[in-house]
Amino acid sequence: MDRRLVALALVGLTACAKKADDPPLDLTALPDGNPAEAHLTRLTAAQYRNTVRDVLGEGLALPPQLEPDLPSAGLVAIGASESTISGWGVEQYENGAFSLAAQVMDDAARRDALVPCSPAGVTDDACAEAFVEAVGLRLWRRPLTSEESAALVAIANDAASTLGDFYDGLEFALAGLLQSPNFLFRAELGEGGRYDDFEMASRLAFFLWNTAPDEALLAAAAAGELTTEEGLAAQARRMIDDDRARDGVRQFFTDMFELYELDALAKDPKLFVHFSTDVGGYAREETLRLIEYLVFDKDADYRDLLVTNETFVNRHLAAIYSVPAGAREGFARVKLPESSGRRGLLGHLSFLGLQSHPAASSAVLRGLFVRRVLLCQEIPPPPVDVNTALPEPSDSARTLRERNKIHLENPSCAQCHNFMDPIGLGFENFDGLGRWREKDNGAVIDASGTLDGVTFTNPRELAQAVRDHDNVGICLTRTLYRYATSHVEQADEGQLIVALSERFAQQGYRVKALLFDIVTSPGFAKVEAHQ
Amino acid sequence: MKLSRRTLLRGALGGAAVSIGLPALECMMNRHGTAYANGTLPKRFGVWFWGNGVIPTHWNPTGEGTEWALSDQLSPLENVKDDITVVSGMSVKTGNAIPHGSGPGGIFSGAPLILRGGEEYTFSAPSIDQVIAQQIGQDTRFRSLELGAKPGPGLSFNGPNSKNPPESSPRRFFDRVFGGGFTLPGDDPTPDPRLRLRRSVLDAVVTDIGRLNGKLSMHDKQRLDQHLTGIRDLERRLVRLEENPPSLESCALPDAPAEEFPDVDGRPPMPEIARAMADVLALALACDQTRVFSFWFTYPVNNVLFPGMPAGHHRLTHDEPGDQPQVNSIVKLITTELAYFIERLRSIPEGDATLLDSCAVLATSDTSFGRNHSLDDYPIVIAGNACGALKRGIHYRSPSGENVSMVLLSLIRAMGIPAADFGAEAGYVDRSLGAIEA
Repeated sequence: MDRRLVALALVGLTACAKKADDPPLDLTALPDGNPAEAHLTRLTAAQYRNTVRDVLGEGLALPPQLEPDLPSAGLVAIGASESTISGWGVEQYENGAFSLAAQVMDDAARRDALVPCSPAGVTDDACAEAFVEAVGLRLWRRPLTSEESAALVAIANDAASTLGDFYDGLEFALAGLLQSPNFLFRAELGEGGRYDDFEMASRLAFFLWNTAPDEALLAAAAAGELTTEEGLAAQARRMIDDDRARDGVRQFFTDMFELYELDALAKDPKLFVHFSTDVGGYAREETLRLIEYLVFDKDADYRDLLVTNETFVNRHLAAIYSVPAGAREGFARVKLPESSGRRGLLGHLSFLGLQSHPAASSAVLRGLFVRRVLLCQEIPPPPVDVNTALPEPSDSARTLRERNKIHLENPSCAQCHNFMDPIGLGFENFDGLGRWREKDNGAVIDASGTLDGVTFTNPRELAQAVRDHDNVGICLTRTLYRYATSHVEQADEGQLIVALSERFAQQGYRVKALLFDIVTSPGFAKVEAHQ
Repeated sequence: MKLSRRTLLRGALGGAAVSIGLPALECMMNRHGTAYANGTLPKRFGVWFWGNGVIPTHWNPTGEGTEWALSDQLSPLENVKDDITVVSGMSVKTGNAIPHGSGPGGIFSGAPLILRGGEEYTFSAPSIDQVIAQQIGQDTRFRSLELGAKPGPGLSFNGPNSKNPPESSPRRFFDRVFGGGFTLPGDDPTPDPRLRLRRSVLDAVVTDIGRLNGKLSMHDKQRLDQHLTGIRDLERRLVRLEENPPSLESCALPDAPAEEFPDVDGRPPMPEIARAMADVLALALACDQTRVFSFWFTYPVNNVLFPGMPAGHHRLTHDEPGDQPQVNSIVKLITTELAYFIERLRSIPEGDATLLDSCAVLATSDTSFGRNHSLDDYPIVIAGNACGALKRGIHYRSPSGENVSMVLLSLIRAMGIPAADFGAEAGYVDRSLGAIEA
């Protein structure tokens, strides 16, 4: 089983020619696969900030900018295993390290929480070493070697003698810990074909919590528990039940649904009077709150995300959706009426507004998102040498469906646009921001169409058709697996992904169960040493 | 500035470290004589980029050689016409697999992209700014500086998957170059014992990188090497903060730009942002903080809502019917800002010449005709003449769709780098564009 088979299981599209469905595979046990090659993963900006918060304390002024995260294969988590740190990034990490170190050492309460001893003088080797080893273990997610610890103590002593204060010395040692590749990168390289205990701790924590391991997890690693089946399962259960798993799941869906793009959401305020620069952030929060609620409070079927009538709005979003706000301040859970055309993720501004143009909706962008992100179907980029201009609205072509006709009538356009536009046109009752409308340029909108043989007449039915699509479960499985392992699956991992998706279905598409299955699967523990 | 053979000889005989056959990296110094240690002025290279191309029929000048007239889209460059060379009719030869991606790959790296599925890609080779920075970036505080008038990843590549992201805030850019530790010529640097200690921390980081490197795959080794390069650059920067700055006559502290440039009618004030950045960048060059830059006015496929426009830029390039008057006006807004930047460089005297004279600025975009993503008849403007290495005030029109890599090889050689060739596969050239060389 290789990647091509996963693609087939995903009812794949190759060069826009639809392939016949492969029979589903009946796999009862999780198969072993060839493991991923060991690789280096850079902490994302969020992981950097979360780790600093967890290890050094809440309320520190964090670096305003860090090396930017770049997605690869659709995920920032994969980009982190390919990208580098630029010269400017080095500068930002250095500035950030000294700023954080000074804030810690200048504040007696913070400092005393981290320094496990009182110095005997301006220099104190033992006390400096105790600090470096305790904080180093948390920041580097493993015990320091004696050479590493000695080097940092030497830096502390040098700085303390030069500047005349023990804590000035620790400031430099801490800044050193924070600039080291052992902090900025996760070097999970494995030994004897599998990750070691501390590497497993890191993998679990950054995947499930989007931050560094806590003390309990490091203790389990030190006790050798994370390389045993029972020990790993026990920690996995603890972590998934912990509130920090909400951060992890939020981060995953931010990555999968590209919600980080909402920071730069731009709309023409002359056309969209409800738009302000804060709306993108609100829209992300709506989607993430709904996901958190479904995954953790309800332990619901993942596919409910696509059809639920419930959502979370603040006053701004309520005005855009024309529903009562539910709360004067902040977000509240509200129920959209059954009569509403809006429901589920595909009724959120985070989809409708983001997958649109600044001044208009887009059938192509919306359709492409459904195919690429929710159904894991690749559609090649448009040919480079075509005139892509759509006719302006006119009396004979007022709606986007009418103006878009060429996409579906010209055979060379249609071979790909047939996969996107009919879906996108099904959302035309939502304008470029995501407000409901019956008409476009005065003409009644026809939102009917078919999705891979299933007909729909409005966005509500389209949401149901997407929810019922065969690919939804395996697509989420594959994306979550890629996210968990920071790489695109290699040959043979495909079989594991198919098996994981079968179990996901058997267990009612519950994301928490899938998280558990992934971290206890061979794909999460095994590693191929590089040659 | 003109360099006669006699000046060259005088420079050599006067003891300056210039010898025939080695790359001549600098202009001859002026009569004041003392600005740079070896009596010469440095050459500078920059990229000035905008997204979504041009309308070739409104872009290409009429006439050729020295007898030519600016087109409508180039008309904002009227005041600097004698300082620029326009190159038209040349082609990106490295394929057109990704709309808006293949163009930058060709015009900056001369090599085909590495495709990643969908519309994702990475350059397969370094971009020209980094090729040049490798050679001439060692002597300044910053090997290169990257700026963007909008937030975005930029297209300055060290190699595959390795980008140099631009700063997008004029104020933060100012703080980075002229804040903490910058010393004006004539002032003594404040002795700071922390600088030495910061360097010793970086030494420890270098040791950590070395230890880790031994355990990594080739691919990850290269990634850590990039980190190491960044650390070494920062160490050098810290050393420089302790040195007396060269007494550069035109170096001055720029005014600090505004902290924020709020949208007006939901539209970012692109000209104001770009000008604030240009003002700081020009003085960063005059103060010799860097000799290489890339300036990203906008990015490929950007949908910036420009003032008065009914839709985003990218959308208009595809959807505006007919002669595209709205797209045309956006391109003219862009060339107006290019003109501002060039004039800003020219306004700074350096010896008997100006800062612009020592520069070669490659101004270009991600496609030729934005509407259909064509890569033929590529838009190229070169400003400055790299201390006389390039012609200026001309329009060169290729009769045969020559390879744009020839222009890049000319620019690299104009920086004094004796490169034999440039590019890869269909982008490979071992011949530069003689027509634009002095």
